[in-house]
Amino acid sequence: MSDSQLYKAQLLDHFKKPRNKAVGELTTMQVVKRGSNPSCGDEIEVGFSLKDNIIEPIQFRGRGCSVCIASASMMTEAITGQPAEHAKIMAAQMQQWIEGEDVNIPPMLKPLEAVRHHPARKKCVMLAWHALIEGMEQSNV
Amino acid sequence: MSVMPLPNNHTSTDGPINPELVKALFPIFSNNPLTRNLSYLDNAATSQKPEVVMQAMDDAMRLFHSPVNRGFYPLAEQTTTRYEQARERLQRFIGAANHASVIFTASATDSINQIAQGFLLPRLKPEQNVWVTRMEHHANYLPWQDVCEKSGASLRIIELTDAGELDLERYPDIFADSTAMIALTQTSNVLGISNDVKDICRRAKQKNIPVLIDAAQAVVSNTINVRELGCDFLVFSAHKMFGPNGIGLLYIAPEQLNEVQPVRLGGGMVDFAADSIADTIWSEAPHCFEAGSPNFVGAIGFASACEFVDSLGQAKIKAHIGELATTLYQALSHYPNLHLVSSAEHLSSGIVSFYHDVIHAHDLAQIMGDAGVAVRAGHHCAQPLLRHLGVSSTLRISISVYNTNDDINAAVNALNYAQKVFS
Repeated sequence: MSDSQLYKAQLLDHFKKPRNKAVGELTTMQVVKRGSNPSCGDEIEVGFSLKDNIIEPIQFRGRGCSVCIASASMMTEAITGQPAEHAKIMAAQMQQWIEGEDVNIPPMLKPLEAVRHHPARKKCVMLAWHALIEGMEQSNV
Repeated sequence: MSVMPLPNNHTSTDGPINPELVKALFPIFSNNPLTRNLSYLDNAATSQKPEVVMQAMDDAMRLFHSPVNRGFYPLAEQTTTRYEQARERLQRFIGAANHASVIFTASATDSINQIAQGFLLPRLKPEQNVWVTRMEHHANYLPWQDVCEKSGASLRIIELTDAGELDLERYPDIFADSTAMIALTQTSNVLGISNDVKDICRRAKQKNIPVLIDAAQAVVSNTINVRELGCDFLVFSAHKMFGPNGIGLLYIAPEQLNEVQPVRLGGGMVDFAADSIADTIWSEAPHCFEAGSPNFVGAIGFASACEFVDSLGQAKIKAHIGELATTLYQALSHYPNLHLVSSAEHLSSGIVSFYHDVIHAHDLAQIMGDAGVAVRAGHHCAQPLLRHLGVSSTLRISISVYNTNDDINAAVNALNYAQKVFS
C-alpha cells in the first residue's frame, strides 16, 4: 500500500480539526464571499473583517474534500493579522506556487506541497483562496 | 490486413470468461511499469485496448493509409473499401438492415447532437414535450435541453422510483400525442441500472413517437439489435468497448434517414454544391452525415473492437462483470459509513456507485489511486441525477472483462486503508 503522500499528517490535522471554521452563518464578518467548484460540488464561504487595513478575524465555512478544507483552514491561519495588501500578495503567490512556479510561501502552507503534483486537486486548494481574492476585490483592497 | 489472431483458449464459446487470459491480451497490463499491477476499475469511463485493436489501427496507418472516398488509385480504392467494410462490421454488430443507417461520428455525444439539431429542432413545436430521464448523462440531456429552449418546447424528466428505476407509470403523457421525442439511456453510467428500452420503443411506436437510445454504457455487455429494439436512433462510442477514442456510431432507422438534416457541412457529404444551400444536393446517407475526411483509422479500430467483443460474447461478459460486481457489492454492504447508490438488483452492468459519510469521494479516489486502484469520483457527467440523490459526488467502481477477484480485493483493501487514514 502506498503511503499516500498527499495525505500528510499536517494536512489531515487541518481537515480533522479545521481552524477558524464557523458553524453558522458568517454574519459578523464585514466581507463574505462564496467560492464553489461545480465539478466536484465543493462550496466554501470565506468571511473576514478589516480594521486599520488589517485582516482579522477571518473565518470560513462549507463543505469539501480534505484538501479543500485543509487549505481553507491553513489560509485563515496564514492570513489572520496580515495587512490587506500583504494578504493579496500572498494569495497571488499561492496561485503561482500551486501552478508550480518557484515562489516563497509561508511555511505553514507547505503541507500543501504534495498537491502540486496532482493537477486535478489544484482547484481544491485554491477554492478558499479564490473566495478571499474576490472578497478583497469587493472591498477594494 | 494482418490481424493478430486471438488465442483460442480465452474465447467463451464453452465455459465462462477467464479474466487472466483476457487480461494478457491488453498490453497496458504488461508493458508499462506504472500499470502492470494496476487494478483498473474505471471502465465505465473508458475501457483499455486489446492488442488486436491496436494492431488493426497500426496496420491502417502503416499499410493502408490514403484518402477515403476521394482517390482513383489502387491504394485509395483499397482504403475506401476497408472503411466501408468497417461500416458493414458495425452494421452486423447492431443488426441494422442496411449500411446507410450506420453512420460514423466523432462520439456518442456527437451522434446525439446530430439528432437533436438535425432531426428534432426543425420539427419541434412550443406545445410539445421532449422526454428524457433523471439518470441521463449530460450528453443525453444538454442537447435536448438546448433544442427545447430554442423552440419553446418543454423538457420533461422521467423521475426514478425509490429503487432507482424509471417511474414510467407516474407520467400518463409520456406516450401521448404531445410528445415529440423520447431520449433515454439503456444503462445508467452512475447507477448501473438498465432500462427496458425495448418496451419503451414498443409503446412509443404505437404513437409514432421517435426514440433515441444511448447505448454507450450498455453495448459491452448487451447484444444490440436495432431491428428487434425498434428504435429510431441509437448511439454509442468505441472507446467504452475496447476501441479507440474519437469515433462513435449513430444509427438512424431507414424510415428516418430522410427526416434528418446534416448538421456538419463540408467535404464528402455533398453531391452538388449550388449557389445557395436551398439548391444544394446532399449525398446519400450515410455519407451526408460524415462531413470531412472520415476517421479511417478510428473506423478500423471500431470494427476490430466489435470483433473482439463478439469473440468474447456479450452474455459471457455480462455474467463475468455481474459476478464480480455482486462480490464487491456484498463486501461494501458491510461498511456502516458507506451508502450504496447502485441497486443489488442491477449489478450486471458491472457498476457499483457509493458515497462515504465522512470521506469525500475525491479523497477516497485519490487514496485508492495511490494504492494502485483506478476508480472514478465525481458527478460522472450526470449532475441532474446527483442532485436527485442529494450528493455532490459518488465513487464509482466499474468492472470489465479483464478484472479479477484480485482487483475487487485490492479495491476493498484500499477502501479500508482510506478509512484508516481518515479515522
